[in-house]
Amino acid sequence: MSQLRSMLICDDEEELAHELGEYFSFAGWSVEVCVTAQDAIDRLCNRPGPLVLLTDLRIGPFDGRQVVAAARARPEGERPRMIVIVTGHVMDNVSAADFDSDHLCVKPVDPDELGAVIDAFLETHAPPSE
Amino acid sequence: MILSHNRRPIGLLKLGLVITSVALFLATGMLYVSQTRQQGLLTATIRSSGWVAYQAQLEFVKTEAEFAKLSLVPTRDGLRELVLRLEILRSRLPVLYDSDEGRVLSGIVDTKDLTQPLEATLDSVIDEVGALDAEDGETASRLRSIDTRLTPLGQVLQRILLESVAYNQEIFRRERALAETPGVVPLVLLFICGGCLALVLYLQGRRDRLRLGEILEAQNAIRAMESNLRAVIQAVPACVAVIEPESGRVSFFNSTAASLVSADPADPAWLHFVQAVHEAAGEAGRTKWGMLSMAYLRSPGQFVSLRGTICDVLWERRHQQLIVLADTTQVRSAELQVMQAAKLATLGEMATAIAHELNQPLAVIKMAVANARRLLEPMSGGEAVLAKLERISSQVDRAKRITDQVRRYGRMPSEQLLPFSLRHAVELAVSFVAEQYRAANIRLTIEPGFPMEVLVFGEQTMFEQVMVNLLINARDAFEARDAGAGPASREVTLSLGCVAEQVVISIQDNAGGVSEEMLPRLFEPFSTTKSTDKGTGLGLSLARSVVRDMNGTISVENVGAGARFIIALPFSPPVLGRNAA
Repeated sequence: MSQLRSMLICDDEEELAHELGEYFSFAGWSVEVCVTAQDAIDRLCNRPGPLVLLTDLRIGPFDGRQVVAAARARPEGERPRMIVIVTGHVMDNVSAADFDSDHLCVKPVDPDELGAVIDAFLETHAPPSE
Repeated sequence: MILSHNRRPIGLLKLGLVITSVALFLATGMLYVSQTRQQGLLTATIRSSGWVAYQAQLEFVKTEAEFAKLSLVPTRDGLRELVLRLEILRSRLPVLYDSDEGRVLSGIVDTKDLTQPLEATLDSVIDEVGALDAEDGETASRLRSIDTRLTPLGQVLQRILLESVAYNQEIFRRERALAETPGVVPLVLLFICGGCLALVLYLQGRRDRLRLGEILEAQNAIRAMESNLRAVIQAVPACVAVIEPESGRVSFFNSTAASLVSADPADPAWLHFVQAVHEAAGEAGRTKWGMLSMAYLRSPGQFVSLRGTICDVLWERRHQQLIVLADTTQVRSAELQVMQAAKLATLGEMATAIAHELNQPLAVIKMAVANARRLLEPMSGGEAVLAKLERISSQVDRAKRITDQVRRYGRMPSEQLLPFSLRHAVELAVSFVAEQYRAANIRLTIEPGFPMEVLVFGEQTMFEQVMVNLLINARDAFEARDAGAGPASREVTLSLGCVAEQVVISIQDNAGGVSEEMLPRLFEPFSTTKSTDKGTGLGLSLARSVVRDMNGTISVENVGAGARFIIALPFSPPVLGRNAA
C-alpha cells in the first residue's frame, strides 16, 4: 500500500513546506515535499498518488487547481483520498468544493487541528477493504 | 427731466415757425396783388406818357400850320393866334420831362436834354413874332425865316413821339402775351411748392415719431433687461460686487456678497474685503480680466476660500471694477476629503497586502513552533522552553487574528448577498475595536437580545465594516468631547433586539450627541464632525448604503447625554447559513 499514510506537500513557500513535512513526518506520515507546482504535477503523473495531497493555491506562476486536477486525473485507486488546500488569501463565500478539494484552510494553520481534520476525514472516508 | 426741459423750446420754436410761415404766405400773396396793381398803374402811366408826346407833337403841327397860313397873308389876329400857339407849345415842353408822364418818358428817351436847349429858341421866337406888324410888307418873309428856326424842335418832338409809340407797342405786345398766360399760375406754383414743403415736413415728422416709438420701445427693453440682469446677479450663488477703483468703496453687491461680507456698504469689512481682493489680484487685475484665488478672513478664525475674477467695467456710467468670486471652501474641503479617502483606500489595499505577506512567516513560525515542541517533548527539563513555545504560538494566533481583521476590513466588498449570522458579525466588529476601546478607556456593554442563529441577508464584511464605523465614531466622539477636559465616564451600549419582523441593533454612547444642525445631513457624503485628518465623511454614508442594500434603515437620535444609532434589518428567510468563520 504505497498510499498508506503518504502525503505530498506542494508550496512554493519553502520553509513552510519543509516545516509542514517535518511535522507530518513526526506524526508518522511518509511525506514528499515539492516547492514548485511542476514538480508536484510530474510526481502525480508518474507515480501513484499519495493518500493526502496538501497544496497551496498560488504556487509561483501556477494555480494550485492545476495540481489538484493532476491528482484527480489519476486512475481510481491511485488517486489521493484527501486533498487539502492551504491558502494565504482570505476569500469570502468559498468552500473547499469550489476548488475540487476536501478541505480548505487559511494560513497560518494550526498543525494539530489540521492533523485532526485529516485523520477524521480519512476515518470517515475509509475504503470498505480497510 | 432732460426731455421735458428740451420739449418747451422746441414747441415754441415750432409755433414761431408756423406763424412765420403763415405771415410769409400772406405777405407773398399781398405782394403779388400789389405788384400786379403797380404794373397796371405803370402801364397806364406809360400810355399817358405817349399821349404827352403826341400832344406836344400836335401843338407843334398846329403852330406850323399857323406859320404857313400867315406866311401867305399876315393879319393882326393871325399873329395873335400864332403867339398863342407858340406859348401853348412852349407850355407843353416842360411836361415832357417834368411831370409823371414826362419822367416815364425820360426812361425811354432823354427828353430833358433834347428839349430844354430848344426852350430858349422857342422863347425868342415868341418874342420876335409878338413884335411883328401885320401891315409890314416884310412880315411874311420874316415869318418864313423864323419858322425855319423851329425845325430842330420839330425833329426832336417827332423823335420823342416815335420812341414813345415804339415803346408803347412793345408794352402792348407784352401785355397781350401776359394776358394769354393765366396770372394765377405763379401763385398756384408757389402754393404747390409750399404744399410739397409742408408734406415733406409732415412725412419727416411722422418718420421721427415712428423712430421715437422704436427708441422708446428699445429703451423699455433695455430697462427690462437691466432689471433682469440685476435679478440674475442677485440670484447667482457667487459673490458679485462693484467697487470704485480709487476709493475702494463698494457701489453694488448682491445678496451672496452681503452674506459673505456685510449687508451695509459702509461697513469697514468691505474695505478689508476690497483690499484683500486687490492684494490677491495684483496690479494686473486693474486693467484686464484677472483670475484670482484668495483666502478671506470672514470672522476671527473663519477663513473662506474664494476663486474668481476681477475686471474693469462701465457701471452706471462710471469706470468701476467688477469682482466675481465663488466660495470654494466646501469644494476645497471636499477635495481634501477625497484625497484623504483615496489615501485611506490605498492604505487599506496596502494593509491587506501586508497582512497577507505577514501570514506567510506567521505560518512558518506556527509550524516551526509545533515541530520544536515535538522535538522538545521527549526531552526532560524542557518545560520552560515549552512554555515559551506556547507563548510564541499564542502570539502567532493573536497576530493572525489581527491580520485577519485587517484583511477583512481592507477587502473590496462583494456584490453577492448571502444570509449571515447577525450576532456573529457584530461580535467580529466588536473584537476589531475591542483593543481600541480598552486603550480609550471606554466601557462597552453588549446586550445580545437574540441568538446566534438569527440570520440577515446581505454582505457580511460590509456590515461588519458598518458596525466598526459606528463603534469608532463613538470612540472619536468621546475624544472630541473630552479634548482639553478631564477624563469622564465613557460608556457605549450595543444592544440587539427583535421588533415585529425586524432585528434592531442600537449603539448608544454618552459622548454629548450630535449637533442639531448636523443631524439632518449626518448620512450625506462628506458630512463629518471630525477633522480631515480623522474622518473621511464617508463612513456614515457608506453605512447608509450598506444598510439600504440590505433593505434596512439606519437612523440617529440624541438620547440623554449622547447619540443613538439604530439599524433595523429584515429577517432573512430561515436557511442553513454557512458560518463565515
